[in-house]
Amino acid sequence: MQQFKSYQQATKHKLLTKEEEVDLAQKMEKGDKWAREKLITSNLRLAISEANKFRNSNVPMEDLIQESHIGLIRAVDRFDWRRGFRFSTYAVWWIKQSVRRYVNGSSHVKFPSGSRNLIWKINNVRREYEKEFSVYPTNEEIAEILGEPVNTVANLRSGMQWPINLDSPIGGEDGSRTFGETIEDTDAKDPSEALDQQKLLSLIHGVLENLSPQEERVLRLRFGITEKENNIQNFPSNQYKGVR
Amino acid sequence: MSMPKGTKFKSGYATVTDQGLGYREIAEVLTAEGYKMNHATARNYFLRAMEKLASPMVKLVNTGRTAEDLAADPQFQDAMIQILSSKKRDV
Repeated sequence: MQQFKSYQQATKHKLLTKEEEVDLAQKMEKGDKWAREKLITSNLRLAISEANKFRNSNVPMEDLIQESHIGLIRAVDRFDWRRGFRFSTYAVWWIKQSVRRYVNGSSHVKFPSGSRNLIWKINNVRREYEKEFSVYPTNEEIAEILGEPVNTVANLRSGMQWPINLDSPIGGEDGSRTFGETIEDTDAKDPSEALDQQKLLSLIHGVLENLSPQEERVLRLRFGITEKENNIQNFPSNQYKGVR
Repeated sequence: MSMPKGTKFKSGYATVTDQGLGYREIAEVLTAEGYKMNHATARNYFLRAMEKLASPMVKLVNTGRTAEDLAADPQFQDAMIQILSSKKRDV
């Protein structure tokens, strides 16, 4: 609903001509708040359009629009009409930066702003390379394309792994199993191993019952299993009398 | 050529637990208890008992080794010590 309102509000204002932009910017410089407001509202459509490009980044669209508006306001405050460029040319960079910073900042792993930008570039290069050659580029290739050290690329790539929630279902909302369910429980006893152990113990038990008293006594002495210990009861044939 | 302490070979000797006795001591104990035997007999008794333990395992796990061979294997003897000395087991 909020999103719809933003769209409505944005389309309500008509686009400005270059002359109107310069005029508003000049009035703004003289402290005209209405001119500032007009410059902002007339470019809301641009902000929404830029925010829309980030819609697949797992961040609510409302937040993206809000961030793009912040970027737009920053651009309005910094716009210098004397340079002769259209406002949108300048503003688009501030809007992008603001949204990108927000999207990357919502990750659990915090990176410095510069590194986040580089990660963004790395991802772009990987995507484009894959589209062209049907394989992903190596770290060396990415480093060469971006003109960055291989080490930096390798470090950022290992750090930019997207964390996943173990409780989230595999394959989206419809998945019946969670990621956590696919992790092996190393403490759990393997049923077949436990069965083998049970079999082995029952075999040993059977053999111990068939030992002669002398054999049992020698085994006991050799292994240091004495009557004083609790494990004496583990020998089933406790019939040795010692004298024969 | 000396080897580090604890080095075990396939044909070496099994580790005896702290409370475990050597064959001569076993022979002395059994002689004192009235069953006269020397160290070699004690060893024979021990190996026979181990052979009895090994024979069903040879059948269970087909490794191509005989029960006699397995009985004399120090690693097998060590494993038996661990199994029989374990207070947790349910034998």
